[in-house]
Amino acid sequence: VKIEVFSRVLRTSITSLLEGGEDAVEKNLPEFTKMVCHGEHTYLYSQVLMHILAQETKGGSNIRRLCQELQKSANEKGLDLFKMYSEMNPPPVDLIRVPAFLDLLIEALFKPTSRVNPEHKQKYVYVLAYAASVTETYKKGQRKNINRDELKPTTQALEKVQGICAENKSSSDLIADIATLFMNIKFPVIAFGILKWVDYTVSDASYFKLNTDHTPLHLVLIDEIVTNHVLLHQKALDLLVRIFESSFEELDVLVQLELKKTVLDRIVHLFSRGFVIPVVTYIRKCLDKQDTDISLIRHFVTEVLDVIAPPYTPEFMQLFLPLLENKAITGSIILEDGKDPVSEFISFYEITNIINQQQHTQVRVEE
Amino acid sequence: MATGDTALWLHNKLGSTDDLWSGATICSQLTKSRLVNIQACYHALQPHVKVKLMLSFLHIPRRNVEQWKLELEDILLTAAHDSDQWVSMVADILRPFPATGTLNLGLDESNGVFAEVNADLNKVVKRSSNVRMLPLECQFLNKTALVAATGVHPQPVKHFALKRKPKSAILRAELLQKSSEVANNKKNN
Repeated sequence: VKIEVFSRVLRTSITSLLEGGEDAVEKNLPEFTKMVCHGEHTYLYSQVLMHILAQETKGGSNIRRLCQELQKSANEKGLDLFKMYSEMNPPPVDLIRVPAFLDLLIEALFKPTSRVNPEHKQKYVYVLAYAASVTETYKKGQRKNINRDELKPTTQALEKVQGICAENKSSSDLIADIATLFMNIKFPVIAFGILKWVDYTVSDASYFKLNTDHTPLHLVLIDEIVTNHVLLHQKALDLLVRIFESSFEELDVLVQLELKKTVLDRIVHLFSRGFVIPVVTYIRKCLDKQDTDISLIRHFVTEVLDVIAPPYTPEFMQLFLPLLENKAITGSIILEDGKDPVSEFISFYEITNIINQQQHTQVRVEE
Repeated sequence: MATGDTALWLHNKLGSTDDLWSGATICSQLTKSRLVNIQACYHALQPHVKVKLMLSFLHIPRRNVEQWKLELEDILLTAAHDSDQWVSMVADILRPFPATGTLNLGLDESNGVFAEVNADLNKVVKRSSNVRMLPLECQFLNKTALVAATGVHPQPVKHFALKRKPKSAILRAELLQKSSEVANNKKNN
């Protein structure tokens, strides 16, 4: 491939990724990666071009994200040309703000089986807190100011929470620490760590077998993370979906269903906190695949209708409506007089449609 | 090894056009004298072999790069004037690498196609500031640091009104209550 041809194809791809945003990236990333990773030279060329573009203050962070996604997928393919990017003479805080590196530190601190030398632990905590909290101001490429105001509180909070998590207490002992955990979960880096810790803890085969509480404490921590951190919503949903789809073969069938309802309540919480479209899309997928007990989908629908009120966006109504119109799901909760939440939602949808059509006709008549 | 042999050796090692990620495979066999030989036969190599050879520099241990700095720079200098555009481009990107371990990000003036694509994309990037595809490390950043890195975030779309809090709210309150009871008991005992 000639460099001119490659450059133009690259230009078209990057343009469509940037114009399409997050959705386009998810959909087109495999193809984009394949093209860029065609050869070591095309990869190098593309990364250099994108690094230059990422220096633009307006919108540059979108490109930075593309570089990272590209690097991640290339890495997964076993292609290795990354060392020098961490050495590309970046400004100090950016040097350690490398997601793969931060992830490694979190892993070392919050994985229950991890055994870190106490001396190293202190350093890990410091570096993490530094990356999370320090801000710098630059003028014409020169660093003018370093603000470390939040470094100390972040470090102390991280130390405290890491200490609690590392003790591997049982839920009944852990309950005394809940207030402390809730307070410190406000730091994103700590929320990230706790989420990882919860992930490992509940993925242990015996966790749900031994935990007899109606709602295991670790799942409530996910609620708290979701409440505080919009940027962790996707990660939280991924984890909840994984738990929801586990088979729990060792548990009694009824206990399994109860447990899954409890997990669904967490997903409803996530929904109520604004992660609407991804959550409903997932439940729709469950319905389409026909591998989910219908009573669980009914539970989701009931809980959602219990908390929401109009006005609704058209996008949400379109996505949610098929769940309500499915007789197997809502047949048993619809009342004849239409005074039930399902019928009320459907009539709201219909009325909105009629009004929209009328407005549309009116505009055309006026024209 | 004579220069003819060096060229043959390189073509055997890097001649395949199926595997375009083979830069790392030869760097363990590079030596100072071999680099001198390569420089001598460089004009006779095929363009893709030239490109792969230069990319192998990135995989050489830093200590060796420092020792072979002059030889590596000589090859890059010759390559920068190559008539094949991939060869000259890669040479241009790697120019500061032997001396500093960094890549050249100032390519704009030297290359027409690159400058054109870069200028076009720069406009797209500026327009994309409302896309908010956040870099992955943003998940870790405190609020102040996040705003400093990527600006203020727009409010998410409100898809509905909330008439009451979900069940999770009661659960949270109960748990906090229980937590303070347990904590008090521990203090008293």
